Amino acid sequence: MFDQLAGNLLFGIVLGAVYGLATMGLSLIFGVLKIVNVGHGQFIMIGAYTAFWMFTLYKISPLGSLFIAFIIGLAVGLIIFYTIIKRLTGAPELTTLLATFATGIFIEELAKFFWGPDYRGYNWDLGRVDLGFTLLSYSKIYALLLSIAIAFLIYLWFQKTKLGMAIRAVVEDRQGAMVCGIDVQKVYALSFALGIALTVTSGVLVTLFVPVGINPYMGHEYTLKAFVIAVLGGLFSPWGAFYAGFIFGLLENGSYTVLSSIPGVEPFSLTRTVTFLVLLLILLIKPDGLLGGKNK
Amino acid sequence: MKRARVLCVVIAMFFLTGLNYGCARQSGVGQQAADKIVIGAPLSLSGKYAKEGQMALWGAEAIRRWINEVNGGIELSGKKLPVEFKYYDDESKKESVQSLVERLITVDKVDFLISPYSSDLALASAPIADSHRKVMITHGAATDRVYQQGYKYITQVYTPGSRYQTGFLDMIKNKDPEAKKAAFIYEDDEFSRSVINGARAYANKQGFEVVFDKTYPSKPTDLSPLIQELKTTKPDLIIGGGHFADGQLLTEQLSSLEVNVKAVSINVAPAIPDYYKALGVKAEGIMCPGQWEMGVKYSPEAAGKAGLEWFGPSQEDFAGLFNAAANQKPSYHAAGAGACLLIYARAVEKAQSLDPDKIREELGKLKMMNFFGTWDIDETGKQTGHNMVVTQWQAGENIVVWPPEAAGAKLFYPLPSWAEKARGTLAKE
Repeated sequence: MFDQLAGNLLFGIVLGAVYGLATMGLSLIFGVLKIVNVGHGQFIMIGAYTAFWMFTLYKISPLGSLFIAFIIGLAVGLIIFYTIIKRLTGAPELTTLLATFATGIFIEELAKFFWGPDYRGYNWDLGRVDLGFTLLSYSKIYALLLSIAIAFLIYLWFQKTKLGMAIRAVVEDRQGAMVCGIDVQKVYALSFALGIALTVTSGVLVTLFVPVGINPYMGHEYTLKAFVIAVLGGLFSPWGAFYAGFIFGLLENGSYTVLSSIPGVEPFSLTRTVTFLVLLLILLIKPDGLLGGKNK
Repeated sequence: MKRARVLCVVIAMFFLTGLNYGCARQSGVGQQAADKIVIGAPLSLSGKYAKEGQMALWGAEAIRRWINEVNGGIELSGKKLPVEFKYYDDESKKESVQSLVERLITVDKVDFLISPYSSDLALASAPIADSHRKVMITHGAATDRVYQQGYKYITQVYTPGSRYQTGFLDMIKNKDPEAKKAAFIYEDDEFSRSVINGARAYANKQGFEVVFDKTYPSKPTDLSPLIQELKTTKPDLIIGGGHFADGQLLTEQLSSLEVNVKAVSINVAPAIPDYYKALGVKAEGIMCPGQWEMGVKYSPEAAGKAGLEWFGPSQEDFAGLFNAAANQKPSYHAAGAGACLLIYARAVEKAQSLDPDKIREELGKLKMMNFFGTWDIDETGKQTGHNMVVTQWQAGENIVVWPPEAAGAKLFYPLPSWAEKARGTLAKE
């Protein structure tokens, strides 16, 4: 049983890192623009297709696709910001919610129109490592390490670069930032684009974890999880989202072993219930989420 | 004020016209001479069943063309009437299915229905069709549960879920009586549960030992906890899956966790070319129960031997018509949907009526074979004549390996190990 628990926890950590990176984008957009991106999962889908097409058409490995996905995410984010989001600053929350929801559906149906509803996949098999209690494929190790590396790079960027500091200034005190000469609209555009770019990039990492089943409608499952993780980590904090991702992954997979030792129980369906119950408990104790409370 | 009054009058006129029109159509039923036969369906052209829904649509269109162009239409009261197929996109959603079935019946006034694709959507549509006394043939809906509800007008063209994996178990028992340990890992939905309930009962009856029997929720993103546990039970064979994405996921993770067994039979997913394209050599040797596959031996000769009448195009003709619309080979989803139209055509010609009770009675009496297989339903509407085939991916081709009368190749057994497959070993002699 301990072998299984260790195996499940390990996979939970890897998956959690990917979930966490995906949710950072969501938290960033909410933290800076106060916009809930309900179409979140569809951008993960774009990242997954990017990895698929780059590998299938040009034999570019997912590692290379990470950069391409990031650029695509920035471009798509900027386009969406200037065509839709910018016009909605100051609009009621329901309007922006609907706008991001509709954008998500639009992207989904565009994907289906161009790429069809087929279920795609690719095979970038580098072998696996035998850890004794389980087998861990190298692609999953890459997924874990790259998620952490990207999250760390983003952290450094926010701390050390002018643009990063400008974003933090706007979040801290919008009026003050304007007085200091910061172009708030550009900061919003950049933050939105960066949030989308992180989400699309995480889509490539999702395929490192599972390289099959890629289809236009795959995003919805990830949206729900992302919302849970974002709330858990504190809605304003991308770093909180990243840590919360690990906790979520550990809970989801780890709880399986505990639940499967209870006779008569279908453990996998219950893992979701357990995860949400724990989330509720954490929020009851700390309503602002793990790292929430103050804007970071 | 005057403008408002004029507006009110105009609106009232539209309303009255619409009411009149509606009434006229209502009273027209049964009195106006039928100049065409309309078969309707909600089909999933977006959402999680988009792939199957599109296949079903193309299949129905191919058969509609055969009926109208090759057969000249359906003979009713001395005239040959064309078939019209009316459909709407149900977006793979139960709520849409319900309102669309209502619309097809009350607004479009279709003569007959075929169900939406999938057990859960068909279950959602059945009570509405039945309460309106509209005959419906379900396709893509294998769950036995629909026929346990006491509906009068709902019938089935597919083999029911309870008989999905029984052929696979027969085949394994026949090939290797020592392979006794079976693991079930499957989606927690209507269809998959009905398949495994049937498989479990049959496995127990045939002397297999069920060593693992667990579900996963729909649309999983990671099955590794289940698979880690399954691996410890050291099964000889694995049966399971659900639909497409999870079937691919299951196979991929069995490979990545190197769960080596002698045979694997997964529902639905391995039946389409996407499966092999996505998984490559990992798909080798994986089996799938199929409602139908190109290469099955249904033909007028086979019908004659079985003492059944034959109606409809040959397999090749169907594939040709399908390819003209879809530019690819038909899957069993396409064939099943097309077969529904053929069944209706034959039933109308025999009953010489469009009356739902007469047609339902005729569907019950009808025993026939078409390119999809045998039609013979019991009094609950459940299909008893149609049989599954088992297909296996061998050297990049999905070939029927069971039953022997339908097989195009011998079963490749046992499966190559995942490591062997990674080195390029194929499931072919």
